[in-house]
Amino acid sequence: MYKIFKHPLACAGLVMILMMMLLALCAPWLSPYDPNAIQVKQILLAPSSLHWMGTDGLGRDVWSRMLYGSRISLLVGLVAVGISTLIGVILGAIAGFYRGWVDTVIMRLVDIMLSIPSFFLILAVIAFLTPSITNVMIVIGLTSWMGVTRLVRAEFLSLRQREFVLASSAMGASDVRMIFIHCLPNSLTPVLVSVVLGIASAVLLESGLSFLGLGVQAPQASWGNILTDGKEYIQFAWWLSVFPGLAILITVLGYNLLGEGLRELFDPRSNHTR
Amino acid sequence: MLNYLIKRLLWMIPMLIGISLISFFVMHLAPGDITSTEAAFNPKSSEESRQKLRALYHLDQPVMVQYGLWLKRMVQLDFGHSFASHQKPVFWAEKNANGDITKGMIQEALPITLLMNVLGLFITLILAVPLGILASKRYHQWPDRVITLFNFIGFSIPGFWLSLLLMYWIGVIHPWFPISGLHSLNYEQLSSWQQVQDVLMHLFMPVVIPALTGLASITLFVKNGMLDVLNLDYVLTARAKGLSDRAVTYRHALRNALLPLITIIGLSIPGLIGGSVIAETIFAIPGMGKLFYDAVMMRDFPVVMGILTIGSALTLLGNLCADLAYAWADPRLRRGIATAQ
Repeated sequence: MYKIFKHPLACAGLVMILMMMLLALCAPWLSPYDPNAIQVKQILLAPSSLHWMGTDGLGRDVWSRMLYGSRISLLVGLVAVGISTLIGVILGAIAGFYRGWVDTVIMRLVDIMLSIPSFFLILAVIAFLTPSITNVMIVIGLTSWMGVTRLVRAEFLSLRQREFVLASSAMGASDVRMIFIHCLPNSLTPVLVSVVLGIASAVLLESGLSFLGLGVQAPQASWGNILTDGKEYIQFAWWLSVFPGLAILITVLGYNLLGEGLRELFDPRSNHTR
Repeated sequence: MLNYLIKRLLWMIPMLIGISLISFFVMHLAPGDITSTEAAFNPKSSEESRQKLRALYHLDQPVMVQYGLWLKRMVQLDFGHSFASHQKPVFWAEKNANGDITKGMIQEALPITLLMNVLGLFITLILAVPLGILASKRYHQWPDRVITLFNFIGFSIPGFWLSLLLMYWIGVIHPWFPISGLHSLNYEQLSSWQQVQDVLMHLFMPVVIPALTGLASITLFVKNGMLDVLNLDYVLTARAKGLSDRAVTYRHALRNALLPLITIIGLSIPGLIGGSVIAETIFAIPGMGKLFYDAVMMRDFPVVMGILTIGSALTLLGNLCADLAYAWADPRLRRGIATAQ
């Protein structure tokens, strides 16, 4: 794991992520104003020493809203990917370990899910439920587990044939023991990479949904819905569009850099790829 | 080849059934019955429209019967009518009693989205293939590093943010391109050549920006494909024969490196169809994405379900075409299929 520090890109990604996490954790102490406090006399002020990132159309301090918005991104990224990874690992492990018809059924489900345009599916589900952070996290989680399933299944298929697993099977180990003690720990490295990259795409998705008004609902701040305001006022207030977009870019870039760095470190075959 | 085609076509049937099950399940996610959510979101929803919903989806029947009846209508390509006041047919044109033809909503929107995606894919490929080749030939030198950096940014940049900034810069500060809609106001008076020009001008921004963000993955793919192939023995043989670098790169390596691109393009279809939502919403292009978004916001159930089903069916069709193209383009597979028969 320490090798990560020798990989400049992964290192840069890690720094970006840690910085964003720190800002999110310290939001209450770092934000000079209440993120939801409306100041009618101070609408659309340009960035200044009083308001570092200016104020929005309702006079709320953008810097404070950005800080609280980073909590949303972090939360959505972690929980959504947690859900998708959990589903993916369980289904992938079952499919790869037991093979046969269980495997066929699970893999066909994967194929079906992959052929439904996922952004449509997410929008439809949120339309039939109600837009809220909880629903956004659950829906992103439920529509992005297919990649992990395929990864874990492939790992299990090859691990199942390895001598140490066959040996423990011959000694009468139970399925549960073989899955949890032998196969699962050995199949988690590629999953780690997909977790990190998954967070990147979950953050992007959440901001897109919030931008469309189907994610985090006002008055709660999220980078996506600050950008919705930004679109409204783009001719008068550049700061409303530039800062949240940059924040999303830096966060997502951080996770992508770390993920690709980890992939290079873990995958000996890919000494040239990615 | 024919057997393979038939097998693949038959294979689509269980897939379509699975997709219809999931779409149907999504509709029933709403707490209570869907008429109550409709009422909760749309205060104007009258008892009449709720009755219409109940009748349309047979909500008084058991769930399995509801699914069966819905599936029966799907198979007949009967997607019903929009709940909006114009009550257009969701899928295809219909004639009413007076003989007037009303065009279907998907029928109108689909060609626009398809045109946008084809143009976008074309632009992406034209840029990505040379960039990928360059990065692989100058691997670990500065052209490769610059391209890698841009790839990472391309993967990470929110497309709607880029659209917003460019819309302001290219559309508002320098009005080079129109930023909203598909036609100018005087579209009807233009000659047909000017009409084509007008549409292309309007499509410029919504096509080019998603194409730029999609550039990263294809460039990376071409680069990795080239790197894999350049180390193979047959490329070494070609070099040993004394062929020029050009011939080795383009005639020997590139062909094999581009083969998997067919599959990648096939797999990217659902992303392209789904991704059109944000671009079309921002630039007010009346395609599938905008239609879907508006339907979602209005809780227009027949349109949402119709697009979900048609979009998935298109994806399946796209994957089928990609597989067939791959089988046709790769002589190894072509033989394999021939001998398997």
